[in-house]
Amino acid sequence: MNPLVYKLEKLFYNPTAVVLMACSALALYLIFSNYKAVQFIIRSLKRNKLRTILTSLAILVLVLVVTAIWTILSKLDEITEEKSKDLKAMVTEKYGARSQMPYSYARGLADGGARKPSDVHPQDNMAWSFYIGSLEKGKFTRENFMFFFCMDPEKFPTMMDEVDTFSPTDLAILFESIKKMKADKKRIMVGKERLKLLNKRVGDRIKLFCQNYKDIDLEFEVCGTLPEGRYENSAVMNIDYLQDAIDGYARDHKGEKHPQADKALTFMFLKTEDRNSFERLAEQISTSSLFTNPAVKCDTASSGVASFLDAYRDLLWGMRWLLVPAILVTMALVISNAISISVRERRTEMAVLKVLGFSPSRILFLVLGEALFVGVLSGLISSGGLYLLINGLIGGIPFPIGWFGKFEIPLAAWWWGPAIGGGTAFAGSFFPAWSARTVKVSEVFSKIG
Amino acid sequence: MMHNLPVRLWLAIPVAVTLLVFLLLVLVGKVPLSYNIRNLTVRWRTTLLTSLAFTLVISLMIVMLAFVNGLYELTQQSAVPGNIVILSDGAFDESMSNLGNASSSSPIYFMTQEQREQLATDDEGNPLVSLEAYIVVAQPIIIDGKPNGRRRFLQLRGLSDPAMTAKVHNLKMHPGGKWYSEAGVQPIERTETGEPTSEQAIQAVVGEGIARELGKDHYHRALQVGDFFEARDRKWIVTGILHSAGSTFDSEVWAKMQIVGPFGKEQWTTCIARVKDKDHALEMAKELTKTVKEVQVQVQREIDYYDKLNTTNFQFLLATAVVTVIIGIGGVFGVMNTMFAAISQRSKDIGVMRILGYARRQILISFFLESLFIALVGGVLGCALGYMANGLTATSIVSGGGGGKSVVLKLVVDVNILTGGILFALFMGAAGGLIPALSAMRLRPLESLR
Repeated sequence: MNPLVYKLEKLFYNPTAVVLMACSALALYLIFSNYKAVQFIIRSLKRNKLRTILTSLAILVLVLVVTAIWTILSKLDEITEEKSKDLKAMVTEKYGARSQMPYSYARGLADGGARKPSDVHPQDNMAWSFYIGSLEKGKFTRENFMFFFCMDPEKFPTMMDEVDTFSPTDLAILFESIKKMKADKKRIMVGKERLKLLNKRVGDRIKLFCQNYKDIDLEFEVCGTLPEGRYENSAVMNIDYLQDAIDGYARDHKGEKHPQADKALTFMFLKTEDRNSFERLAEQISTSSLFTNPAVKCDTASSGVASFLDAYRDLLWGMRWLLVPAILVTMALVISNAISISVRERRTEMAVLKVLGFSPSRILFLVLGEALFVGVLSGLISSGGLYLLINGLIGGIPFPIGWFGKFEIPLAAWWWGPAIGGGTAFAGSFFPAWSARTVKVSEVFSKIG
Repeated sequence: MMHNLPVRLWLAIPVAVTLLVFLLLVLVGKVPLSYNIRNLTVRWRTTLLTSLAFTLVISLMIVMLAFVNGLYELTQQSAVPGNIVILSDGAFDESMSNLGNASSSSPIYFMTQEQREQLATDDEGNPLVSLEAYIVVAQPIIIDGKPNGRRRFLQLRGLSDPAMTAKVHNLKMHPGGKWYSEAGVQPIERTETGEPTSEQAIQAVVGEGIARELGKDHYHRALQVGDFFEARDRKWIVTGILHSAGSTFDSEVWAKMQIVGPFGKEQWTTCIARVKDKDHALEMAKELTKTVKEVQVQVQREIDYYDKLNTTNFQFLLATAVVTVIIGIGGVFGVMNTMFAAISQRSKDIGVMRILGYARRQILISFFLESLFIALVGGVLGCALGYMANGLTATSIVSGGGGGKSVVLKLVVDVNILTGGILFALFMGAAGGLIPALSAMRLRPLESLR
């Protein structure tokens, strides 16, 4: 399928896009049905182009920052929001901050620790380990390190997040790579950005010196790429390859087990139907005698991420409740200042309009309309421009905390910008507009005379 | 309280130059300053609104920088000059280090007699050496007896001799506290409901920051000596509170190694030793890295170790700079708007001044100073508002790329940050005021009077 047709088709299935299109249609209808008023507003704005441009630029810049911050906050909210259906449970070591469970747990956990016929079974499962290595021994830089999700490659399409956002071309590459990885355990998929940083290509063979498993240095062959976005800096390897290497350690060390032989399972993800199934599953796992040394805990994936983010809670609170409101107030002040100056300069014009029969409320709406026009339009250009720039060219806002990688600007940003611009324009221009409404004709003309 | 006086040179010079230029413009430029001040006061609403925009931008900048400064101070104050950190080879930080099980495998025992003689000693002649195990455990957050479904990462430090560890890290205990006993545990005797119990509570010495964090869940105040908290399904009793504000130890719980080791790390992770001559610490670190062979170790100065933990701090600093500059650009457009409006409203005044004999450059200076003055007022107010954040506490992570430490930090507004705030406000005022002032300068007297 043509990528453009695919993207358009996806857009029509997106509720945000549908609401946005409906809002745009409504806005267009309002503009055309009030054509004369809109024309008047545009003429007024054109009279002092410099002021209009400067106010627009200020809004443009500030909306840009708010959109970027809201992108990060909304994405984190989305990740940490508890879902009611299709829950992903995450089993980790109960007490250790760095979960290290024996790989032997994987089989029992894949079945949800079910013991009785009436017990709940997960719909799907995925075992995860991490492998971190660098191309040069003892040297660990941004250009030579690799971070792997060690897993069964076949679980990638069903258990990993955001695979539904992959384009048909990327999906085809993914399935092809999975087939190759199943055929040869040494084969790996690498994110496009990481591959570029490593200066490697598909088909290249590499040797990595491990950072987190002592003496487990492995050779790989790059068989496919992961698309830009969430996984662009990650890589996927077959978990069996890591396990084989850990088992092989004993052969090369006179039967002595690898120090992390019983600590190679980091996470076990289980897919459950709903909240009730998740709770039953969590109960089965926590009461099972199979998972006691070390003990395990079962959380929803979102609550696990929320716990991780707890250390940053003050920072995120500051972004949400300090930075964004202060920027919004700054915007309102800039707009208020511009509209106040404009109203003061045009008191005679307001008086003439009143003489011509314009009602005070109509004058109020015209002044508010000017501010809203500049605010909404600048907001739309800013957030829309940021959407196209970040998603189209840069590939996301970097968020160098944990494994988040980059955040794409959501489609909702197309309404955030106009809403922020419009809202602050309204707040900033209401009092100046009110003072324009109360201009006294006799006072203005007496001064002119 | 102000910190780090005097102001850093790279900040002080631009501020001094700006103020000098400001004064020179006023004195040598012979500008109609009283006219400018009258205009600013007559148009007080516009002046106030523009200044307020500056105030907000600068106060935001101050708060964000205070957060980053707090992180930097935290890592700097945690290091003691003369201390060396011994970790296992290849470990980014303590959480990844493994120095071995028993004390006999400690690197101190692999030092030569000559090397041992270079170590500083306490009053009793014991070498200032501390063996530590850094353990991070996930602790369910229980507020008023109810779990809230989330966990916090609690940092434990298993020790053999807490008094010696405190000496090595230059830490003291708050009055009323004592180090945990030889047993490391004590009987609880009665539960909260008053029933007799044979349960033993783990004795712990806690940092001030974590005492605040843990205490608010149950006691709605900071933990005090004798208070209990829960972790790893065990009851813990506070025997002492460390004077640890401003260091990474502020977020730690110290307990007996044999008790907390089984919670995650039964090997020592870290060995800290104090070298007699602090200038010799780097040399000693290099020598030990080479000579200790029994366990592969990497030895570094504590100052260097904490310096590496500044990676996240630098990322925060970069983000703060980017956000401040972008918001600042918005503020510049705001002041430009105000100044252009001021010029268009006062074009007749400019014409009169030119006819009265004021030169073009005097008009330029006059309007330029006006915008600088608005910026300065807004900047000073912003600094005052931002200064209110000084001393507030926040949680974050310090990391050097590998693991990381969860820390409770204090926001620090110092003279450098305030100077930076004023400088940025003046820069915004200059950037926003220069173009309008140039346009005022170009106005022709007769045209402007028409």
